[in-house]
Parts: sequence; structure tokens; C-alpha cells
Amino acid sequence: MEWVLLSYRIPREPSTPRITVWRKLERLGVARLGDGLVGLPADARTKEQIEWVAEEIVDAGGTATVWLASSTSQTQERAIAAAMRAARTAEYQSVIAQAQQAATGPVEEAARALRRLRAELRRIQRRDFFPPEDQDQAAAALNRLADRLKLAAGDSRAGKPAAQAGTPGDRAGAPR
Amino acid sequence: MRWATRAGVHVDRAACAWLIRRHLDRDAQFVFVTEPASVPADATPFDLRGARLSHHDGDCSFETILRSYELTDPVLWRLAQIVHEADLDDERFHAPEATGLDVVIRGLSMTFPDDQVLEITAAMFDGLYEYLRRGLLLGHEPA
Repeated sequence: MEWVLLSYRIPREPSTPRITVWRKLERLGVARLGDGLVGLPADARTKEQIEWVAEEIVDAGGTATVWLASSTSQTQERAIAAAMRAARTAEYQSVIAQAQQAATGPVEEAARALRRLRAELRRIQRRDFFPPEDQDQAAAALNRLADRLKLAAGDSRAGKPAAQAGTPGDRAGAPR
Repeated sequence: MRWATRAGVHVDRAACAWLIRRHLDRDAQFVFVTEPASVPADATPFDLRGARLSHHDGDCSFETILRSYELTDPVLWRLAQIVHEADLDDERFHAPEATGLDVVIRGLSMTFPDDQVLEITAAMFDGLYEYLRRGLLLGHEPA
């Protein structure tokens, strides 16, 4: 398997670009291989993204080199992949927990949570190079939440005429 | 004029090529290279590491070109937000169109050679530009 590696050094101060770079690397889901050395499985997108982070580091007064590499041992490669998978698993589990929590709350909040969690799921999927089973479970948890909301919406539509019929004040007050 | 960019074009390079043809150089010819060193001497490089017309300060190349040629058309800047998100996906802008644009162009670059991708995406960007232009005039999503 081919990896794209970024070896970099970025000044401690100012801290803003350093933090921006750190965030971007986290967002890409890199494996931290050492001090100033990160890696991702190489494909067209990861190579490009890593190159742009390298460019940004250079713009910020740092140094960066980008490499394509393969591991000399399958064991160490598997360990790195396992660590990356474990990091994603924790993120998927957090989505599942939040979806379950939202399902017990008010409908409006659940709808907001669903939108937020769908975006979050997509972000996690983009940096997931060794998908654990939890990915499917997280997607299923969000679909269940969506189904529940649809059901709730159906209930309120069905319930509307009934509520109006049952409220004499409504009818009396309505302009005719 | 000749312009050079990396082979295997994706959204930012496709959008830049469209922008160059429509706004900077109607007869632009594009050369695709695999590394910065192989850019022909007479060609202007873009979206290539180290080039002036490339990613800078968190901007994608499309934004850099708009800035350096002082193109102020608000429709182009709205398009720039979509290209930025499709390319960098860093949530700097709200551009829900980006996800779709990204995958469509990724698919095209798996299917067609670079010059053909530029041809097809030029029509896409023409359409997108018109859609955004009408939206901006109307103040809401057109049709």
C-alpha cells in the first residue's frame, strides 16, 4: 500500500497558522508517525490535500516536504491502520450516541441534531480510510432518527384536523 | 497564450481553466504536467505547488486568480466559494452545491482525458454561472 507522507516544521510563533495546520491535518484524518511527520493512504485526493497543507506551511514560514512511501513491514502498516480505524470508531460511536439521545428529545431539536449529525457523519467518512463496522451502524442510527422524525411529522399532520375539530374556540374565532 | 497545470484535473483546475478562457485569455491553450519542473518556459503555471496562481493563505487557486487579476464580479466570487468548498472542504463557506460538484468532476476525471474534462466542465461552469447570476439578481434561488 502506498502512503503519502508530509514531513514538516512550522514556527511555534505566531501560533495561528500552526493551529490552522494542525486542525487541517486532523480533519484529513492523518496518522501521526512522529514529530512533524504525518501520513495518509495515497490517492488522488489525499496527495493533493497534503500538498496544499505543505504549501500552507511554507507560506507560514515553515518547511515541508511531501513523499510517497511504502512500509517495509505489513505488521507496522497494520498497526497504523488499526489506530486510524480506532480513531474513526470512536467518532462513529459518538454520532450513534448523539442520535440516540436526540431521538428521545423534542421533534425540533431532533431535526436540528439530524442535520448536524449528517454533516458530521460525512466529515468522518471522508477521513475514514479503513472503515469499521461502526460506519454502517452510524448511518443506520441517523436513518432511524430520520424515520422517527418523518413519523412524527405524519402524526402532527394527521392530528391537526382532529385538534381543530376538538377545539370549539378555534372554530368560533375563525373568520368566515 | 499557454497555461500549465497538473495533470488529472479536478474541480479547482477545471474552474480555473474555465475562468481563464472566459475572462483572461479567450484562446488559452492548456498544458498538463506531472510536476512543476516540467512546465514549459512560455506557459503560465496555475494550481501547481510554488506557482503564483495557486493556493495561498487558505485560498484555492480560483480565488487567487480572481484576486490577482482583480476580477470583482460578485457572481464569480459566489462561484469561488463553491469551488473552494468542493476543493478544500474546510467549511469556510456555506456552499451545499460543493459536494455534488466535487463528485461529478471526480467521476469525469476517472472517465475522460484532461482536455475533454475541461470541455465538459466548461459547459457545467457556464450553467452554474448563469444559475448563480440569476439567483443573485432575484435575491433567491432561481426557477
